[in-house]
Amino acid sequence: MSWFDQTLDLLAGKPCCGYRANGAAAVEPTALAAMALAAGRGEQAAEPALQWLADVQAGEGSLGIDAANPHPRWPTGWAVLGWRAVPALAEDPRWNAATQKAVAWILSFRGRSLPRSSSLQHDTALCGWPWVESTHSWVEPTAINLMALKKSGKAGHPRSQAAVELLLDRMLPSGGWNYGNTKVLGNTLRPQVQPTGLALAALHGEQSAAEHVQRSVDYLDRVLCEETTTASLCYALIGAAAHGHRPAAADRWLEAAWRRTLEHGASPYLLALTVLARLGRDCPWFANTLAGQQR
Amino acid sequence: MPHDHHAPAPATSSGPATLDRRALLVGTGAVAAGLIGYPIARRLFTARKPVFLARGQRYGGPLAQTIREGLLAVGFDPPRLRGRRVLLKPNLVEPAREAPHLTTHPAVVLAAAEVFRGWGAEVLVGEAPGHVRDTELALSESGMGAALQSERIEFVDFNYSRVRSVPNAGRMSSIEQFRFPRELFEVDLLVSMPKLKTHHWVGFTAAMKNLYGTLPGQVYGWPKNVLHYAGIPQTVVDINASVPRTIAVVDGILCMEGDGPIMGTPKRMGLLAVGLNPTALDATLARITGFDPRRVPYLALAEGKLGPIADWAITQRGERWQELVDPFAIIDERHLQEMRAGHSLVTEVTSPA
Repeated sequence: MSWFDQTLDLLAGKPCCGYRANGAAAVEPTALAAMALAAGRGEQAAEPALQWLADVQAGEGSLGIDAANPHPRWPTGWAVLGWRAVPALAEDPRWNAATQKAVAWILSFRGRSLPRSSSLQHDTALCGWPWVESTHSWVEPTAINLMALKKSGKAGHPRSQAAVELLLDRMLPSGGWNYGNTKVLGNTLRPQVQPTGLALAALHGEQSAAEHVQRSVDYLDRVLCEETTTASLCYALIGAAAHGHRPAAADRWLEAAWRRTLEHGASPYLLALTVLARLGRDCPWFANTLAGQQR
Repeated sequence: MPHDHHAPAPATSSGPATLDRRALLVGTGAVAAGLIGYPIARRLFTARKPVFLARGQRYGGPLAQTIREGLLAVGFDPPRLRGRRVLLKPNLVEPAREAPHLTTHPAVVLAAAEVFRGWGAEVLVGEAPGHVRDTELALSESGMGAALQSERIEFVDFNYSRVRSVPNAGRMSSIEQFRFPRELFEVDLLVSMPKLKTHHWVGFTAAMKNLYGTLPGQVYGWPKNVLHYAGIPQTVVDINASVPRTIAVVDGILCMEGDGPIMGTPKRMGLLAVGLNPTALDATLARITGFDPRRVPYLALAEGKLGPIADWAITQRGERWQELVDPFAIIDERHLQEMRAGHSLVTEVTSPA
């Protein structure tokens, strides 16, 4: 049996999962597992995870980090991506209702803008999404929620367009993203692989971003290798795949990362990511999404 | 267990109201306070906190011996550690292989682990890297993962730990409670193990600021922007007031100056610093690196609440700090220049460009 199928078996055995093998179920890992199962085994396999996400959803539509912690609510976008993982799920009224509530909440939630400052290079007035209420917009939550809006047919919404603008503004001059600062007090910061992958995935289909995308894919090509750690590698491969790029050694690196993950605690979060990265262009984060949808 | 950062509870008398020798001394002290004034009386009646400094240290040297000697010199009581659990908290905020001066060196962490294990304690290491969601990457880039594995030391990823809510005992910021990793409350001693660096917002970072990295990213974000909005100096004090049982061992061997805590340049100091009171330790390290502790906002806020920062209230063990002063370069920002120990100590200013 291939590592891909073994992993799907593991995820199917405990679809409501956490960051650690024996950890409590959390929204982000469960949503990723749901996407992996829906894409790899069909929507039925994802149902327990999708139902758990719906059970955790608050009345106003958001989801916290787990059942015991309804705040902060940054994982809400991941749940939307779970409920929209494959086209067949969009036909189910349960997930449709959950998605609509979540999307309404996402649209009501925004990062805090700041007056322009000479200390920070980026445009602090641009609005994306924060990790936590009443704080600034950062790259990863903005990318997650942008993908969620696109998968919900809201690529043309002003918040989606603002999110694209923010991501382009936060890219580092030599390509790639970090958590979301570009230049602070005059010094240019370093890019990081994981946020770069996520931002690239969120920019799927954005023709206006072609030059930014190319520089960032080039950055990934420079830094990815067999030793790249699992989460970073998976996000990077997914982000590159969103733009039709896949390093020649991707499958070998992915299998090596999968083995390391099994040897070091078998985190369901990481295992789900390996499946999604293996799916490449079929990754549910952006597959079957058109950038111009409902524009 | 050492529990040194909270002010000691006032002594209470349960005996008959007779004028014993202690009361007489206290009474005499009170009269003396009235006569000689509050500042001097405060000196007379403030418990001094010991700080240990060792110079000439290197990562390949006998660090465990230095740490052991340092802990004993500041009054650490090893027999009370037998069978207890010790959590070491290094700084892995944003590790980069090309910048070893950014994070706590694994050799210092392994040396501390050797000391505490030698005293019969179980040791684990925990951290919530502040700018990196991929903790495996932080462990790999810093070399910490391989080092811990070689000594079979458990690592706890605080970023994704289950949390426990704790009231904000500092009350300097508007934050009412903190959500700390549960593991923090399942150990008997927390050891802050920072890298000694400049910090472009608050001047300087060592034992106290390092505890930002106890708070889980999944609750506070990457970066922990909630704390920035609530005020960095205020939340540094609040976190230190709210965590249990903390002492510190500081990696001051290869440090960072200039645009710290991320983009600064290496500065070799060869120091190891040990203290049971992180405030007193940081105040001493501030002096060594060219800052006036009274002008470093979080130290000023912590003074008297978490520990002393006045030189007279800190007992020096090992090397004298005065002989180790080597001001760190800071970037040319007014808020940083104002934290300097005095213009005469400003020897170098780097350009931010």
